Amino acid sequence: MEKTDVVTRLTIVFKNVFDNEALVLKDDLTANDVDNWDSLTHMILISDIEKEFEVKFKLKELNKMRNVGDMVDLLLQKK
Amino acid sequence: MFEKYVLSPILDSLSHLPDANSFFINNEFYSYSVFAEFISKIRSEIQKSALSGRNLGLIANDDIETYASIIAIWLEGYAYVPIHPHHPVERGMEIIKQANIDLILDSSDIPVFNSSLIIKSKSLSFTVLNLVPNQLNDDEIAYILFTSGSTGKPKGVPITRGNLGAFMKAFWEVGFQLDENDRCLQCFDLTFDVSVQSFLVPLSKGACTYTIPHDQIKYSYASELLEDQKLTFSVMAPSMVRFFKPYFEEIDLPDLRYNILTAEASTLDLIEEWSRCIPNADIYDFYGPTEATIYCTYYKFNRNSSNKHLNGMLSIGKPLDGISAIISDENGNILKVNQKGELCISGNQITPGYWNNSEKNKTSFFLKDIDGVSSRFYKTGDLCYFDEEGDILYSGRLDFQVKIQGYRIELGEIEHHAREYIKGQNVVAVAYENISGNNEIALFIEGEPFDTSTLIVQFKSKLPYYMLPSKILFIDEFPLNTNSKTDRNLLKKSIS
Repeated sequence: MEKTDVVTRLTIVFKNVFDNEALVLKDDLTANDVDNWDSLTHMILISDIEKEFEVKFKLKELNKMRNVGDMVDLLLQKK
Repeated sequence: MFEKYVLSPILDSLSHLPDANSFFINNEFYSYSVFAEFISKIRSEIQKSALSGRNLGLIANDDIETYASIIAIWLEGYAYVPIHPHHPVERGMEIIKQANIDLILDSSDIPVFNSSLIIKSKSLSFTVLNLVPNQLNDDEIAYILFTSGSTGKPKGVPITRGNLGAFMKAFWEVGFQLDENDRCLQCFDLTFDVSVQSFLVPLSKGACTYTIPHDQIKYSYASELLEDQKLTFSVMAPSMVRFFKPYFEEIDLPDLRYNILTAEASTLDLIEEWSRCIPNADIYDFYGPTEATIYCTYYKFNRNSSNKHLNGMLSIGKPLDGISAIISDENGNILKVNQKGELCISGNQITPGYWNNSEKNKTSFFLKDIDGVSSRFYKTGDLCYFDEEGDILYSGRLDFQVKIQGYRIELGEIEHHAREYIKGQNVVAVAYENISGNNEIALFIEGEPFDTSTLIVQFKSKLPYYMLPSKILFIDEFPLNTNSKTDRNLLKKSIS
């Protein structure tokens, strides 16, 4: 899978979880940059990403994830 | 009490363990000697300020200056009033006004409030140790926490130095054995009273406190700390354990010696599963309202035998030493074993009363003669009963208070702000369980649907993030129950 595919599909999940059509994903985007990205929505986000990409994250992988770029890399590794 | 059980143990750690780590904050260790310098320079700055009141505002950041400020304030004999930097400014202003705060300690790069006298605690330089405590009466206030109030305004709970001393004494009597080799998790906002236990316990024993930076996903960062830093003592809300649940299979924390669950009801099946991830930890369920200083009852989880529960919720156990608990009916009569009623608490940990709120004080506290002695009781609003062995079983709330991620919330406060905006339309806020089993808030509005984006903006300017409804739903007409009141249960069931 190409990185652009991952970003496109990831963007749809993000827009849906944070209810924000204008959201644009960048590699250095973090929870601080997005309204309502807290512990609760993070959990929903992770579960929706797992469903969309048919993957299962390990807690350790999630912990090391610092921004959207890390998440994209992780998904590329997993697919 | 305060001198003996709070200040002296901290001062002992500062002087006897200069090289031991006191804090681990954002990947940096701070030794006790460095912490002593931070406390001293902040205290010296407080001493330079001419103050009219005794309550100092504290911007509740996650850094060494903020923790040092608390100790500096206590050494000087003042009370701290935490104000969360990420909560709406308007809420902070309300707290400043209510508590008559004229000085704020702020470690932010840009001060959160610019109207009051401010000590920018990050820009001070150390000159000399300044750790000798001023002698004060135990009746003076140690901190004031503001909790959700159903009238739309946060209400202040002052905790005296004597209250906190009594709590620490009772806490150690449970039997916890900690020393300077322990590593302890502090995952609570400083605006929430469990934070006080989470940093006071390690500071009293020369142990290290590990905190969670505000810009991190809390449960993820906490699990990393627990594992990588091999933490030995942790206090957490069951909602955090619920976040860990999908990953239980990969979690193994053999170094954890003590795990306290608090701030919400603990469900037995969750704790049983979780106990396998922390094979060497003693697990405790602690219960207590802010008004009774952090915790007032506890139950020790039995790994190898059955545990007491009611509807799957673990027992909250027996009162701490120095606390007396009764179950009372609506008319103030004490109920017998196995009879459900309101849990009422008395003892040295009970707040002298809500801050400047005589009306609420009249309804929340009462005097009762027990065995010829008159005691002052606090009505917790929790529906409970005692079993034959004196353990307390928790059944639910008597009012509209709910817990979201451990924070206590009056649904009335959310409804108040909604009504203020909508004017005229009927609104009801309810808590519902999301897919992970944690609580979220839904707001129901009676009438024709409208665009809610400005309503959400209104909420964000008035309420902290954990009080924001995650769903707003419209219904033509609210269902009524047999008492002709809005049927909240039916509304709750309609959430998909």
